[in-house]
Amino acid sequence: MKIEIDGLTKHILGTGDFISIDISKCNNCGGCILVCLVNLWSRKDNRIYISEDYKEKCLECAACYQVCDAGAISFQYPAGGTGVIYEKG
Amino acid sequence: MKTYDLIIVGAGPGGSMAAKTAAENGLKTIFFERGRKPGEKNSSGCGLGPRMWKDFPSMMKYLTPEKCPSLRAGAAARNYFINEKGIVVGYVMTRPTESVSYEPAKSWITMNCYRSDFDPWIAKFATDAGAELKNSTLIVNLLKEDGKICGVVDEHGEKYKAPIVIGADGAVSMVAKQSGLRTKWAQDQITVTPQYDFFAPPNKIDDIMGDEALAVWWSAIFPASYQVFFHDGFHQGLGNWLNKWDKNPLFYLNRVINLKYYQRLLKILDAKPRELQSHLLPWLKYPYNTHTDGVILIGDAGGFPCPLEAEGIYPAMVTGKIAAEVATEAITSEDISKSALSKFDEMWKKTSVGEEFEAGEELYNIWKAMPFSPKETMSWFVPMFMEVMGGIYDWSQPHAKRVRQIAAHIKSYMPKALPFIMKYVFPLVAKIFENDLDRIMDPQKLMSVIPKIMDLIPKKKKQRREKV
Repeated sequence: MKIEIDGLTKHILGTGDFISIDISKCNNCGGCILVCLVNLWSRKDNRIYISEDYKEKCLECAACYQVCDAGAISFQYPAGGTGVIYEKG
Repeated sequence: MKTYDLIIVGAGPGGSMAAKTAAENGLKTIFFERGRKPGEKNSSGCGLGPRMWKDFPSMMKYLTPEKCPSLRAGAAARNYFINEKGIVVGYVMTRPTESVSYEPAKSWITMNCYRSDFDPWIAKFATDAGAELKNSTLIVNLLKEDGKICGVVDEHGEKYKAPIVIGADGAVSMVAKQSGLRTKWAQDQITVTPQYDFFAPPNKIDDIMGDEALAVWWSAIFPASYQVFFHDGFHQGLGNWLNKWDKNPLFYLNRVINLKYYQRLLKILDAKPRELQSHLLPWLKYPYNTHTDGVILIGDAGGFPCPLEAEGIYPAMVTGKIAAEVATEAITSEDISKSALSKFDEMWKKTSVGEEFEAGEELYNIWKAMPFSPKETMSWFVPMFMEVMGGIYDWSQPHAKRVRQIAAHIKSYMPKALPFIMKYVFPLVAKIFENDLDRIMDPQKLMSVIPKIMDLIPKKKKQRREKV
């Protein structure tokens, strides 16, 4: 059995932005790309991006924020009552 | 602006315990939850231990399957050992032993339930006691007047005022950050923990697992992975400190799932993946910076998960209760200063949680060096352990010759095992037994003795029968 992770998370939509990256502080270490379980971070033309649909996929673990020693990633939880839902957590 | 005696940010088990205690002490208390109800944002920690029944009997006796449908108690734990080739080379199943001293610890090792069941259940004790629970509300900042913390601000700009704020807001704590107690964890203080939830029919779990509550998969190819059984499903997860990953955490979790043995287990359990979860979990040698003027941090926010296996619910409940007691006293005596709130540290250090942290550094070190270092340590530990446990179950040689073969092989691991024992096991044993063992556990002495003991095992068969 290979596990397809699509469909294994549930989100309540409607939050505003809650993760951002300040490229001027980013040292391109790639830690965020490494630790994000659902692969929301990527590198293009030597620059780090967060996926446009991150609000529908983020597990809110904040590993990207914690791993960023350059302090380039800002993280705040999504608006109350929105975001990921764990029914069997 | 609404005014309270005590504000608690977070309605997990720690926040709810603090809210319950404060409300019972007569404080006008509010606690905030960012989810639509407590527990829907949380994904771990619910292997509840018997110490909770010992410390909070009047609450825990009400924890029943009617209230928490996912509840499952189990007396047994299984330890699987996986070698570098991904083969389950052995397992050990254990039950509470004769030295376990009280009920319910004699009957089960953990009572497992989902946070989505447990957190609302415990929050109700707080609301029943008169605390106000505000759901679907994200607290984004601390309220300050003349530089002094005096409440919180929610995402809509609504202000709530109180002389003391308890930060029960988990690993990524806004209260810790805004109060200046901690900007961020260092990378060796925080783990990330991916986890799958699988559905499995309750009768299959009962038939196949019996009364096993949990399993740990000790491995040379992934950090130790835990499996916890609930009424109709189970979690499989693993974690490691943030600076220890060389690949995506999910890559390693999938290595567990892809073991042939595991695939067979999924098949016979009729198990289906149901949810993917991830969370951060503080894992410290010792909690510090737990309070300042008008602020106390509890549970994960304060870094209280157990330094050995990182269970966080019980420490959150213990520290939550104490924080509310200290807050009550501080508010009554109108002294909310850092020095008045330092009573919090004094009190938790005297509890079972404080006792756990007395060997915190040694427990942390051995855990980090062993199950969380699959390549460096488990790669030799697993085959060495199995040589001891399983080597004799073999018919390839006459038995005496086989024993010599095993002994010689174990001896070959000593260059790796002895330094490990000296660096990690001795300090832990010395701390636990308060240095009483110093004399016999002197590393120098042991280093010289162990090879001699190994030499006592005869290398050649003695010709016993010749003279008969």
